[in-house]
Amino acid sequence: MKYIDLDTVNKRMTTRILINKLVKYLFLAATLFGLIVLAVLLYRVFADTIGWLNLDFLTNRLSTIPENAGIKGAITGTLWLMLIVGPVTMILGVGTAVYLEEYAKRGRLHSFIQTNINNLAGVPSIVFGLLGLTVFVRVLGFGTSVIAGGLTMSLLVLPIVVVAAQEAIRSVPGFLREASFGMGATKWQTIKNIVLPAALPGILTGTILALSRAIGETAPLVALGIPALLIPIPSGIFDNFTALPMQIYYWTLDSVLVDEYANLAAATILVLLIILFLMNSVAIILRNKFQKRY
Amino acid sequence: MMIKKTALFSMLTAMVIATAACSSGGAEGTEQSGGNNNSSENNSNSGNDGNGGELSGSVVIDGSGTVYPLMSRIAEEFMVNEHENVSVEVARAGTSAGMQKYVAGETDFANASREIKEEEVAELEANGIESKEFKVALDGLTMVINPENDWAEEMTEEEISTMFVTGNYKDDDVVLWSDIRSEWPEEEINFYGPNENHGTNEFFVKEIIEEQDLVETINLQQEYSTLVNLVAEDENAIAFFGYGYYANNDDKIKAVEVDFGNGPVAPSLDTIAEDGEYGPFTRPVFTNLSIDAAKEKPQVKAFAEYIFQVANDFAGDTGFAPLPEEELQESLEFIQSIN
Repeated sequence: MKYIDLDTVNKRMTTRILINKLVKYLFLAATLFGLIVLAVLLYRVFADTIGWLNLDFLTNRLSTIPENAGIKGAITGTLWLMLIVGPVTMILGVGTAVYLEEYAKRGRLHSFIQTNINNLAGVPSIVFGLLGLTVFVRVLGFGTSVIAGGLTMSLLVLPIVVVAAQEAIRSVPGFLREASFGMGATKWQTIKNIVLPAALPGILTGTILALSRAIGETAPLVALGIPALLIPIPSGIFDNFTALPMQIYYWTLDSVLVDEYANLAAATILVLLIILFLMNSVAIILRNKFQKRY
Repeated sequence: MMIKKTALFSMLTAMVIATAACSSGGAEGTEQSGGNNNSSENNSNSGNDGNGGELSGSVVIDGSGTVYPLMSRIAEEFMVNEHENVSVEVARAGTSAGMQKYVAGETDFANASREIKEEEVAELEANGIESKEFKVALDGLTMVINPENDWAEEMTEEEISTMFVTGNYKDDDVVLWSDIRSEWPEEEINFYGPNENHGTNEFFVKEIIEEQDLVETINLQQEYSTLVNLVAEDENAIAFFGYGYYANNDDKIKAVEVDFGNGPVAPSLDTIAEDGEYGPFTRPVFTNLSIDAAKEKPQVKAFAEYIFQVANDFAGDTGFAPLPEEELQESLEFIQSIN
């Protein structure tokens, strides 16, 4: 008597091997799908960009005439926006994270705040735009200036920074804190000298990723009412501004009026993608360099 | 290890210092150009130095997307050729959305593809804003179809105004081309048009179908680019919008020649005129100027004058028919008389 019925095993063998292979290609296809779409997108952007992305395009001011149009104003506007969003989210975000991780007692209030921060991360960006329109543009009277746009964007990406900073602070090993307390340091001295320096790479990575989210957001700026034609270059935080995604949005819509606007939009997309790529690279380098120090 | 920490901390410090620097720079910025609310005071100071001198400050414009191409072109020419230090900002939230900002005193001009409404006039009065409406150019309401559509190339004015009204052919508004003329195909018509934010929609409902309800099956869109693409891909489509959006896309969509009683007329820069062959579908497009803003801010007055000096030079390029010179001259003189 045989313990293994070879016939049955052989019969099922072919199907099992077949399914095994099939599943492999299924997952490969799932992976390729996204990549192919990205490749098509990049191909179309590059094809439309040829002949349009040059130094003049980067240094010229905005114009309704495609040959004269440039994105110096949009680039400057985006940089000003980042100068607001970066420090504001970092100060508020790290402050929140330090409070929640180091000071707040674990309890109902703590989990209530925690849940709401997570909920906030899921609120659609247009809602933040409308909030910004009411509070910063109208009530505080900032108009459609850099500071109004920057504060709106800061609120939008704040939850990302808070969560990233919390994780960074949580990953600082307890023995470091205990050693510090053992040396007679106060809580604030411990946070300032031990916890924050150790958590800083994680915090910076989170902040940069949040910035790269903010840099590409269009909906909140549309809600604020950023003008479609704004030629002067912003020189301060109370100046009106336009940003790269706004220019992409308006040029894409207006390509029904002037065909060449589609090329301008493509060139702007490429510039935005390059900026995003650089920022994400910095975030990855930071993360890899400082990972697992303890 | 220590060095890395120091490096990271100095990065952080640098960012914070940068913010501080920004905010002090920003304070100066307020004095120069400022937000919409407090700029008038500052700008009037700079204007008193002499009318012949170089102007600065900002001119804030919002409103119709139909008027936007013309106004943005004029604004750019003004900034490039006349007053380099003036910032003319042109937004295009739509006629009604732009009006809301205008009546609240947030903008200096409101572009409109329809006349100002009574309730908007009332709000202006309530807010103490003196306003005047000016015609800037003429637009022809254009009926567009797919290039493959070889039957509905000519239609009468009555056929158009009948087909767009609810309940005229079917209770469920599923209208077939054959319902309009029996020799046309028995296929469902797909209606498209701009949504209620647009003055073009309001003009169509008020002037063409005379306040009756649009067919329920109509697909109303916010963006003209979407409308152009929808019609370009749909053989049974019919849509209405301003002539400019047709003229720049005549390779993708076709204009219906309209018969107003004297044979079919195609919309063109020659036929669009208030007493022209395309007259019944011709409408003026407007801009509303806050007289208060023009008094307080010399750059607003200067730009208003410039509009009526050059409107006809750029109308054709941006898809509008010119206004009679006398009308522009009249508007110009009115603005010059504001003190």
